[in-house]
Amino acid sequence: MLGIEECLTEVMAIPGALDAILIDQTSGMAVAIGGGSRHLDAEKSAAGLSGTLQATLDGLAVTSATGTVRVSEMIISADDGHHLLKPVETVFDGPLVIYVRLDPVRSNLALARHRLQALSGRLITT
Amino acid sequence: MPTAESVLRGLADDRATGALRLGKAGVFHLTGGRVTYAESACCPRVEDLLVAGGRISAHAVRQARQAASQERPGGDLLVDRGLLTRGELEFCVLGAVLDAAFFLFEATGVRMRFRPEDRHWLGPQWYFDVTGLLREHGRRRAQLDQAWPSAELDTLPVVPLARIPAQQVMLTSLQWEVLVGADSSATPADLARKLGRPAYSVLLAVRQLGAAGLLRRPEPAPDPPAGAPPHTSPEAPAGAPPETRAPVPAGAAAPAGIAPGVPSAEGPGPSGALPRRAGAAARVPVPAGVPEGAAEPLRPRSSPEWLPAATADPTDVNLLIRLRNALEALA
Repeated sequence: MLGIEECLTEVMAIPGALDAILIDQTSGMAVAIGGGSRHLDAEKSAAGLSGTLQATLDGLAVTSATGTVRVSEMIISADDGHHLLKPVETVFDGPLVIYVRLDPVRSNLALARHRLQALSGRLITT
Repeated sequence: MPTAESVLRGLADDRATGALRLGKAGVFHLTGGRVTYAESACCPRVEDLLVAGGRISAHAVRQARQAASQERPGGDLLVDRGLLTRGELEFCVLGAVLDAAFFLFEATGVRMRFRPEDRHWLGPQWYFDVTGLLREHGRRRAQLDQAWPSAELDTLPVVPLARIPAQQVMLTSLQWEVLVGADSSATPADLARKLGRPAYSVLLAVRQLGAAGLLRRPEPAPDPPAGAPPHTSPEAPAGAPPETRAPVPAGAAAPAGIAPGVPSAEGPGPSGALPRRAGAAARVPVPAGVPEGAAEPLRPRSSPEWLPAATADPTDVNLLIRLRNALEALA
């Protein structure tokens, strides 16, 4: 059983985590920002990231054979690290998205994914 | 007249704790100068969202509400009893407050009254500063207008077209919920309550569906300016069948002209498939329906599926009252 702030603290405790943001996907608003990421323009980042997720969903809907998509996690590997986006569904609102950027050298993607999965289950139970 | 914004800023500067009531539109709760809860007449409350979504039972909410005290607010009780995770409660409150704040900032001409020490039973679960709320309001306003810059569908019953002028469409999950939940009498605000989704999200989905041309749009208002009693308008069009005497909202005589097949007949060109219909397809002017002849008089009644039945039925009256209240709250 986690609160939003504790969840962020635990996300930042994932080995190699550089920045973390919780995003309200409906409006693309930054709900909370992880400890070490104060240098980010959280509002802008959140809006951009939620747009990224939406664009991916749109793209995949066209690509998928059935036309329906359910993204459980999105990983973008870029020059500045791995960007992980994990939408967590709730019954009452659009998904809450956990975003974390991982150091490309010091992080372990598989471990990070595993930790995010466990965290999301303790944050929201559905 | 002070705006909600200026009064809230003043309360924030004073680090006030209490409830700022905005007439019938709703209420902001503050704790130490920060907004901790908000409720709008047009939006589902936190408990409505949780119960309608099937997350917790109405009974559990009632129990927590009754047991809530200053020392142990209802929200903490729900979490301690293991009914919700802290994260769920926080996220739900967060969503509900942003939702309500959006509509409360739009409310104008309301009488405001601040009651110090008046607390919400859930207790503070998430803190917003007033500036942040206003910034979010601006963002949402822009998002809404970007989806579709017209408010014409915002307070009308949501009526999906029986046939759409396109071969294929793509929907988000919320758009799907809206279409499935639409019963031709529920407005976006009604749907939000029914679906247990924030009113803003539903409104946005409705605007997106409107922009995609999937919803029936209102007639281009042949009616007198708002404020005139609605039952005068059906008499106005020359040659309107006498059956339209019932107090139908303006434009209701139109279904006569719009048999379900009409929109597709109007749009044979494949190119013009997806863009919103530029009027002609869906909006046949009222007189066009009249010459269609003898079968006409029955049609307005036989196609009630997109408008509330035009009778003096108390449910209709209630619907009209709700509509009026919602319009007033938005005005």
